[in-house]
Amino acid sequence: MGFRERWSIPDLGVGVGFRKPHVVQVLRERPAMDWFEIISENYFAEGGIQRRNLEELSHAYRVVPHGVSLSIGGAEPLDAQYLGHLKSLVRRLDAPWCTDHLCWTGIGHVDVHDLLPLPFTRQTLDHVVERVKRVQGELEVPFALENASSYMEFRESTIPEHEFLAELAERADCGILLDVNNVFVSAYNHGFDARAYIDALPADRVIQMHLAGHTDRGAYLLDTHSDHVKAEVWELYRRALSRCGATSTIVEWDESIPAWDVLAAEASQARAVRDAVLSTVPREQPWASAT
Amino acid sequence: MGERDVDERRAVPRELRGLVEIQRFVSDAVRGLDDIPRDPALAGHAESLIVPSARGMTPPERLEVYREQFWLRHLANLDEDFPTLTWVVGGREAFRALTTGYLRACPPRTWDLQRLGADLPGYIARDPRWGSDPLARDAARLDWAFMEAFDAPDSPPFDARILASTPEDAWPSARIDLHASLRLLPLGHPVHDLRLALQRGAEVERPVVEATHVVVYRDPACFLRTMKIAPLAFELLETLRSGTPLGEACEAAAGASQSDPSEIGERLGGWFQQWTAEGWIRAVRFEA
Repeated sequence: MGFRERWSIPDLGVGVGFRKPHVVQVLRERPAMDWFEIISENYFAEGGIQRRNLEELSHAYRVVPHGVSLSIGGAEPLDAQYLGHLKSLVRRLDAPWCTDHLCWTGIGHVDVHDLLPLPFTRQTLDHVVERVKRVQGELEVPFALENASSYMEFRESTIPEHEFLAELAERADCGILLDVNNVFVSAYNHGFDARAYIDALPADRVIQMHLAGHTDRGAYLLDTHSDHVKAEVWELYRRALSRCGATSTIVEWDESIPAWDVLAAEASQARAVRDAVLSTVPREQPWASAT
Repeated sequence: MGERDVDERRAVPRELRGLVEIQRFVSDAVRGLDDIPRDPALAGHAESLIVPSARGMTPPERLEVYREQFWLRHLANLDEDFPTLTWVVGGREAFRALTTGYLRACPPRTWDLQRLGADLPGYIARDPRWGSDPLARDAARLDWAFMEAFDAPDSPPFDARILASTPEDAWPSARIDLHASLRLLPLGHPVHDLRLALQRGAEVERPVVEATHVVVYRDPACFLRTMKIAPLAFELLETLRSGTPLGEACEAAAGASQSDPSEIGERLGGWFQQWTAEGWIRAVRFEA
């Protein structure tokens, strides 16, 4: 039995990231939207308006937490207090799963608050596998790691990123949050084939996808989440859906955040792309027979 | 190498030493003030660890992308958190010079970006330029109080009927629990008015020196508010917060503010009504 089936991972459709400029409108008007993703750390506090807003949001919509600070690839022990907050949030939301990034965020009791890349080595893989097992065990819901955008690679790396992520997911028995924009950004920055990356991931473990816009800085692409999804990323999304079948998707927009209608229209476009691809995919999930 | 470094190295399993070395270098480099490609030592180290990009970026240039992002993210975060202090020190540019020094001296210690400015009031007090400016110290403390009140733990609503139904002789031994968001600030300037005026986009002037007792709090509707209160009420709240029973707290507050003890008796009922309406009182506990 595959990962999705074993955990009964639902298809939530297409949603968006819940962001400050839209809070009042969303909570007041309850616009049509399949689901929302929140940044986990913004809702760890035991009081205040954010907690109250989240309570309202989760009464009206399905909400999934997405973290940026777990530091799964950090060299220091996992932060037990952080995990406690995360577990409590997952419970409060009755979240069907929980996600973070394949990265590290700090060392030496300093948090850099960035999704920093790892050297992809056997030692790093062993280290991250054990940590993912612990996190998923503590959370008691499926845990998935997102491929982060990156702007540098280490000489020490001996494993291509997609192989690292695929083996990590298999050995730790966790899910994958496939950020299609990040694959495109990193492929451009590092010179690998984005399509081959997507084709190499175990489709059955991809439980969620991300779409977003990025910024062209000439020598590199920066994952800014500040614009519409680019044409090449839509193309990769079609490819990913063909492989993975109906997969819950989030459109992220974090900088130069537009009016709600613009964001909702972007989600509608994702829904249309998804429907078109899924109408051509056999009814049974393509990953059901995948190895 | 310091003693602490040696101990930390001993604690690192052999198989993780390579990872630790990389992470320490990257963490230090991205938090640095120096442009990485222009610093020969950093650039050389980056060359030894990082591969050039397929698009022609050198290893130091690739690492520099992360350094730029570190400073953009953290400085922007502090801009949002300290609007009053930003105005007091002369605007965005001067504030960024200040917070750049702050982030070097007090790097982010937690995943919680809300806590990024936790040490800024203390840093300001020690800063050679701003430490001697009482207005800057007041502004930093006020802005930080807002940050703390923002997400302090919630409490269930207090049942005000208890105030009317409790026999009078039970009150002296009662202990009053205050809402976790309450911040009591003795200030040398009315900086709460300055913050409010800035929020409204009004023309403002440097406040005059004036001893001011301010409460920063989150009201029952979750709005952040400030209220200037009388020194006597301020002393009483401070004493109650330490867990002192009401009777004893009233005597102590009157003594500390050199007030007539009868004044508290006359004003206590009104204060309790107001404090309850504002959500300052979380619970009243009586001796068993």
